[in-house]
Amino acid sequence: MASETSLVAKLDAMVANVLADWNIYTTLIAGTIVAFLIFSFVTSKEPDVHPFLLARQSTAFPVRQPGESAVYRSLETPHGFPLRSGLNVKDPGAPKWTSGRRGDLRDVWKAAVRGAVEEGKSSGQQGKIYTVLGRRAIEHSLEQVTQEINVIGSRLQSSKAKTVAICLTDSVELLATIFAGAFFGFKTIIIPHNLDPKDLSNLLQKAEADVLIAEAGALDLSLVASSNKHLSQVIWVAKLGSRHMDWNDVPGDVKGTLEVAVWHELVEEKKDLAGLDVPSWEPNTPTPSLTTVWPSATQVAEFVEYQPENLISAIAGLTYSLPRNQRFGPSDLVLSIDSLSRSYPLCQIMAALYSNASVALNSVAGESVDFALATVGVSPTVVIASSRTMSHYHDRFMEPHSGVISSFARWFDVRKLDAGVMPSHGMVSQVANIGPTAELSLDKLRLLCISHRVDADPQVRLTCVQLTDLRIFTGARVVYALTGPGVAGAVSQTNVFDYRRGKGQSHLGAPLSSVEVVLTGVSEDKENEGQITISGPAVVSRKTTLSATGRIRDDNTLELC
Amino acid sequence: MASPQEAAVPPPAEVMTIASPINLILISLFAVLVYLQFRPKALIALPKGPAPIVFRTFTPTTLLEFNGVDGKSVYLAVRGRVFDVSPGRNFYGPGGPYANFAGRDASRGLACQSFDEEMLTKDLKGPLDDLKDLDAEAIENLQSWEERFLEKYLIVGKLVAEGDPEAPRL
Repeated sequence: MASETSLVAKLDAMVANVLADWNIYTTLIAGTIVAFLIFSFVTSKEPDVHPFLLARQSTAFPVRQPGESAVYRSLETPHGFPLRSGLNVKDPGAPKWTSGRRGDLRDVWKAAVRGAVEEGKSSGQQGKIYTVLGRRAIEHSLEQVTQEINVIGSRLQSSKAKTVAICLTDSVELLATIFAGAFFGFKTIIIPHNLDPKDLSNLLQKAEADVLIAEAGALDLSLVASSNKHLSQVIWVAKLGSRHMDWNDVPGDVKGTLEVAVWHELVEEKKDLAGLDVPSWEPNTPTPSLTTVWPSATQVAEFVEYQPENLISAIAGLTYSLPRNQRFGPSDLVLSIDSLSRSYPLCQIMAALYSNASVALNSVAGESVDFALATVGVSPTVVIASSRTMSHYHDRFMEPHSGVISSFARWFDVRKLDAGVMPSHGMVSQVANIGPTAELSLDKLRLLCISHRVDADPQVRLTCVQLTDLRIFTGARVVYALTGPGVAGAVSQTNVFDYRRGKGQSHLGAPLSSVEVVLTGVSEDKENEGQITISGPAVVSRKTTLSATGRIRDDNTLELC
Repeated sequence: MASPQEAAVPPPAEVMTIASPINLILISLFAVLVYLQFRPKALIALPKGPAPIVFRTFTPTTLLEFNGVDGKSVYLAVRGRVFDVSPGRNFYGPGGPYANFAGRDASRGLACQSFDEEMLTKDLKGPLDDLKDLDAEAIENLQSWEERFLEKYLIVGKLVAEGDPEAPRL
């Protein structure tokens, strides 16, 4: 009989044998397995976005011209439909079924002053504007700014100003002048503030500005005015600390031709006359253009004149490129540490104002700033920065300061990102933060908007590793956009939920809904690589070709070659 | 069969060991689970769509081959624009009611609502049909066809007469 033991019985004996060895260690191991299974079940989450949406992020037109790639568009605006050209502003009292107006900068300010709207009812909760000066943040109410818009606007209107050059650091006065231009009908030109006097003088001459608004004491008036015959009026903006001084003095050689005034004195004098209300306007009247300076490699900076429809289309494109639950809202504080003289930060700040978010401006904002220092004064939920700032920050601070513990925590967070889930501000990420971001005051940060200038140094292009580190160590989602001369806002921007990691440089996402992208000069065997050409309502001359070559990847996102 | 006595003998007292078979089995199970949980996941990629059609300039002769025979695309031209009507192969392809138009300039036929052979331009080397002799009603008819085509089909090229400066040189 022994030789005929059935297979089942043998197996039974074997299992019994094995189980006979059960001891305390076995119980421990079994317990660990159960705990691990429960842990991974409880902590597993659906990815933030369906992976298929990241696998094909824009649509290609099925027909292409010879020598060009297919035309690529955002998923929001399919081929055959118009690109996004405006904010679809609905005036109160307009019939419900009518489509809204495109809107312009005046609508942006009006929406900001009106306050948040919830379910069709206005709650009247306004955003605030902060100016960050070092560790201090000064708060301005929107009424106060409206007053300044009215005072400055009506003064410049009465002196028949046509073109106003603004040479200021990022400040409330800069914003007020931009809006005053829209309300009172004069062109505004934003000139970067840190230029040397000769360049500035040349730019002013080229711009043919008749009014200059600049920081008191920051530039030599006789040098600027003597070479600039158009200039008839200067308004100084005095810093808080230097308001006691008399800035009304005009240098001898330009006396008589030049009128000088001081911003805060004007506002003080006229504020009772100007009123707190937003000036009213006819919806169909056009607003003047806004010009910024595009820094170019050859040192001869070029002007880019954005028509109001370019700006508004870019503002709308940037707003809607974020999914609904990630858009700017009344609870947000948007800090720009990139200069408003660049169109991406400018359009993002406008988008924030339109969405009733609070806005913080930093007087040191620029393309290359110290990320840690620039964010100390306030605790923002959204930060707008340049690729140069972020790449420097990553190289100098984040990478050297990450130790063993944060590397370990980072490893866990990377798994989460790979599963398509944003790591929460939990214990692990707190541990991860100990090293690299200790000096930051970014507890509330939820979104980091980074723009890369198409002609910037390729060294500052962000890699996938850098973007992943930024996500993990700041605990914020990241969007990474490509900007180009002649395109308001951005050309393309990554999906806010796209955490995928690849090798080397990160891609730059899908085109915004305000533009369409086509690669020109492609060879027949490599039809996805060529000169980046952009057209659409956000493009100044309707169509422009960038200096860089780009490639459309298999997931229909754009990358620079 | 093992004798009952043998089974009753208590096993010799031994030191509890972690290296027993069951422990090893469980440990390897744990290792596999951990690996499955943390293994690097491949990125999801969708299959590539068909390569885009390159816009072309056709002459009546070069258009002729796109008549849908042998699974080829079906093209037809309306007033100088070439439409890819392959999605409507049942109508415009071989055996369909409009099969005569495949690979041809269909302007006159559509305008006159007639699908006969004589509506097509006979001389492929000659100039394109200028439709000058059609009345307003026919032109309006053609217009509505064209609008329908624009809605449904892609323009993949344009049609020029043989010898036109824009015509591709062979």
